[in-house]
Amino acid sequence: MMRQPRRSPHDSYETETTDHQTETETILLKHLPLSPDSPSPLQRDSHLQFLIRNLIQGFPSRYISQDASQPWLLYWTLQSFSVMGVALDPNNKQKAIDTIMAWQHPDGGFGGGPGQAAHLLPTYAAVCALAIVGRPGPGGGWDQIDREKMYKFFMSIKQSDGAFLVAHHAEVDVRGTYCLLVTVHLLNMLTPELLEGIPGFIMSCQTYEGGFSSASQPYFSAEPEGPILLDSPRPPLGEAHGGYTFCSLASWVMLQPYLALQKPSLQRPSLNFKTLLRWLVQMQGSEIELGGFRGRTNKLVDGCYSWWVGGCFALLSSLGIVGAHGRDDNHQSSTAHEEDESWDDIDDSLWDRAALQRYILCAGQHPAGGLRDKPPKAADSYHTLYCLAGLSAAQHNVFLSSTRQDAIVHGWRTPVESKHEQLRQACFSHSLSWTEEEGTSRVLGAQNNRMNATHPVFNLTMTHTEGMMAHFYKQTIPSRPKKT
Amino acid sequence: MDLPAEEEQPLYSQRPEWADVVPLEQYESVAPLAPIFYTDEYRDATNYFRGIVKSDEMSPRVLELTENIIRQNPGHYSAWQYRYKTLMALKSPLDDELQLMDELAIKHLKTYQVWHHRRLLVQQTRNPGPELEFIANSLQVDTKNYHTWSYRQWILAYFNDDALWSHELDFVEKMLESDVRNNSAWHHRFFVVFQSGVRNGDEDRDAVVRRELAFVKERIAIAPNNASAWNYLRGVLDHAKMPYCELQAFVLPYSLPQPPLDTPPEVVDLESPLPSKDAQLPCVAAVEFMADIHEAAGGGDLVKATELWKSLANEHDTIRKRYWEFRIAESLKTKSAGDG
Repeated sequence: MMRQPRRSPHDSYETETTDHQTETETILLKHLPLSPDSPSPLQRDSHLQFLIRNLIQGFPSRYISQDASQPWLLYWTLQSFSVMGVALDPNNKQKAIDTIMAWQHPDGGFGGGPGQAAHLLPTYAAVCALAIVGRPGPGGGWDQIDREKMYKFFMSIKQSDGAFLVAHHAEVDVRGTYCLLVTVHLLNMLTPELLEGIPGFIMSCQTYEGGFSSASQPYFSAEPEGPILLDSPRPPLGEAHGGYTFCSLASWVMLQPYLALQKPSLQRPSLNFKTLLRWLVQMQGSEIELGGFRGRTNKLVDGCYSWWVGGCFALLSSLGIVGAHGRDDNHQSSTAHEEDESWDDIDDSLWDRAALQRYILCAGQHPAGGLRDKPPKAADSYHTLYCLAGLSAAQHNVFLSSTRQDAIVHGWRTPVESKHEQLRQACFSHSLSWTEEEGTSRVLGAQNNRMNATHPVFNLTMTHTEGMMAHFYKQTIPSRPKKT
Repeated sequence: MDLPAEEEQPLYSQRPEWADVVPLEQYESVAPLAPIFYTDEYRDATNYFRGIVKSDEMSPRVLELTENIIRQNPGHYSAWQYRYKTLMALKSPLDDELQLMDELAIKHLKTYQVWHHRRLLVQQTRNPGPELEFIANSLQVDTKNYHTWSYRQWILAYFNDDALWSHELDFVEKMLESDVRNNSAWHHRFFVVFQSGVRNGDEDRDAVVRRELAFVKERIAIAPNNASAWNYLRGVLDHAKMPYCELQAFVLPYSLPQPPLDTPPEVVDLESPLPSKDAQLPCVAAVEFMADIHEAAGGGDLVKATELWKSLANEHDTIRKRYWEFRIAESLKTKSAGDG
C-alpha cells in the first residue's frame, strides 16, 4: 500500500494559492494507486474511441470556440493515433488531406479554417498533420503547399527584434517562433535571412526564475542610420511558463546548426542552463500531486505539462547538459538490458520519469475515454495528445546521435558550396539524428502502456519526420541500423 | 447600448439589408474530416463574414457582423483582425470601441484576442492610464491571468511614462498582501524594479537592492514554504551579482527544524526576520539555499553541501532525488577538477 504522501505545507497562512492547492491534493489523493509500480492500465481502446468519435462523427457545438483551430484539432488527433501506433485507413487519410488543403491561404500559409487569415500556429499544425497523412504527387497535399508564398508570408511578419507576429495585426510570442522554425525545417525553407535575430529574441525571454516568458519588449535607440535594438532593457513579458519554455528551448535546439555556422562557440551567446534546469525540475509536483508537472511556480499540476515541461529534458540533454534526460551518445550501451533490471540502474535522468507516468495513468485518464488536465475535468483532444506525448517522453530516451548524424551527412547528394546550402544540410542532419536509445525504455506498469517514441522537437514520429524531409530536401535517408 | 445576446436577431440570410452580400460556405468542394456541429447562428454569421472578406468590404455593418462573431467565438482571430482593419478604415471612435471591449470582457471573453485588440487600440488612442485601472479590476477576479499581466507589463514598457510607473510598487504590494504566493505578482515586481531601466529616485541601485532584499525577507518570514519568494530572492542576488553567503544569517533558521517551545527568544535582528512560530520547518528552499552557499565556499564546505542535498534527496524533497544527487556528483567533479 502506498504510504499516504505529505501535504504541501502552508505555514498556517492560507491564501488563494494554498486553497486551490489543498483542494487539488484532496482530489488527487483519491487517485493514488494501491501500489506504485501498478498504476491504472492505459485504456487504449477507450482513448481511441474518444478520438475517432470526434474525427468521424464530428465535434459537438461547444467546439465552436475551436473553430479557428481546426488544424490543431486534426493534428492533436492524428499525432495521438501515431503515438499509440495507429494509422488512418486510406479513405480517411485522403479526406484528411483534402480538408487540410482547404485551410491553405491564397497568399501563403495556413489559417484556422477555410478562408481564415494565415497564422503561424495553424500552419505548424497543418504541416505536421500533412507529415502524418500526406504524400508526394497530385492529391497528396505535400506538393500542393505553396512554399514560395508561405516564405513571403513569414518574412512579412518578421520583426526587427527577431520575433514574429503570429499573423498580421496579431500578437508576438515565442510559440510563433517555434511553429515557424518547425515548419521551415520540415519543408526545406531555411535561410539565414529568416533566422537572423531569432537567438537574441529567445534569450531575452528567459526570466529570473530560469524558465521562459511569452515574449520580450524591445527598446530602440534612434541613430542616423536607423533605429538600433538595445541589449538592455529588454524585459520578458509574463512569468516563466511551461508552454513558452518548451517553445523557446525547442527553438534554441533547432538554431544550434545556425549558431555554429555563425560564430565559434566561445563567442556564442547562450542561455542560463543552470537556472533553467532548476526551474524545470522545480515544476514537477510532489508525491501527493502524483508527480505531474505544473506550468508555473505556485500553480496547479496539469497533464499537458507532461509534454511541455517533461519534454524539455531531452532537449536540454541534446545541448550538452549531461544527464538531464539520461545518457547521451557517448554512453550509448551496446549491450541490451535485462527486463528485470532495476529502473535506477539505467535511468540517470534528473527528473522522476516513473512518477510522471504514474500521474498520467492514474490521474490523466478520463474513465469515459480521452485524457485530461486533472480529475475531475473533462477530456479533450489537446490534453489527450500532450498527456500521451508526455508519457512517451517519460518512457523513452531519445537523444541526438552523432553516429546517425554522420551517416546522414555522408549520404547527402548535392554539393555543399554556399553558406545557405551548408545551413540546409546542417539543419537536415541535425533534425534527423534523434534516435531512440535501445534497451533503456522504461514503461511503468504493463507493456500495453508503451507509447511510440516521438521526435523531441517536432512532436511527430521519426518515421513521419523522415518521410516528409526526405521529400522536401530531395535526399535519401540511410535506413537505421537493425535493432539488436 | 448593449444588445443582450439573448435577444432574437434574424439570421443575416433573412435580413434585406444584407441581400447584396453573397454568403460563402466554409467548405465548398470538400466533405471535411472532423467537422464541428455549428449552430445556425454561427454558420450564418461566418458565411456572411466570408462573403464580405471576399469583396473587401469595410463598413459599419461589418463592425456589427464581426461583433456578432466574436461574441459567439472570441477565439476567431480573423474576425478580430478584420474588425481592426475596418475600425482603422472607417476612422471609428476608438474610445467607444474600448468601452465595448470592457463590456465584452465582463461577459467573460477571456481569450488572448480580447487583450491583443485592446493593445492595438491603445497604441492608437495613446491613453494608457485607464487601461491600468481596467487591468487591476480584471486581476481581482482572475489573479494570475497570463495575458492580463503581460499586457500590463507591455503597457508600462511601451509607453515608458514615469507617471504610469509611479504606482506600480504599490499595486504589486497590494496584490502580494492579498496572496503572497502569487508568482505573477512577484514576476511583475522584478520587471518593475530591475528590468525597466532606471527612473528618477531609483538611481542608487545598491539602495534598491537592499530595499528588495528587506521586502522579500519579510515575506519569507510570514510564510516560508513559498517558492515564489525564494525564486525572487535568488533573482535579486543573481541580478546584483551578490554571493548567496551574504544571506546566510537570515536563511539558516529556515533550514532547521523549529526550535523547542521553551527555547529563549532570539534577539531581534532587523536584517534577519525569523520564521513565524507556525512555519513548517525546515523549509526545502532554505535547505537548498544553504547547500548552494556551502557549494560556493568549496573546499571542506562541500561535505556540508552534500549532507544537505542528501537530506533533500532522502527526506525533505524526495521527488527531486535525482536532481539532488546530480548536484552532489557535480560538486565532486568541480572539487577534483579545481583543487590544486
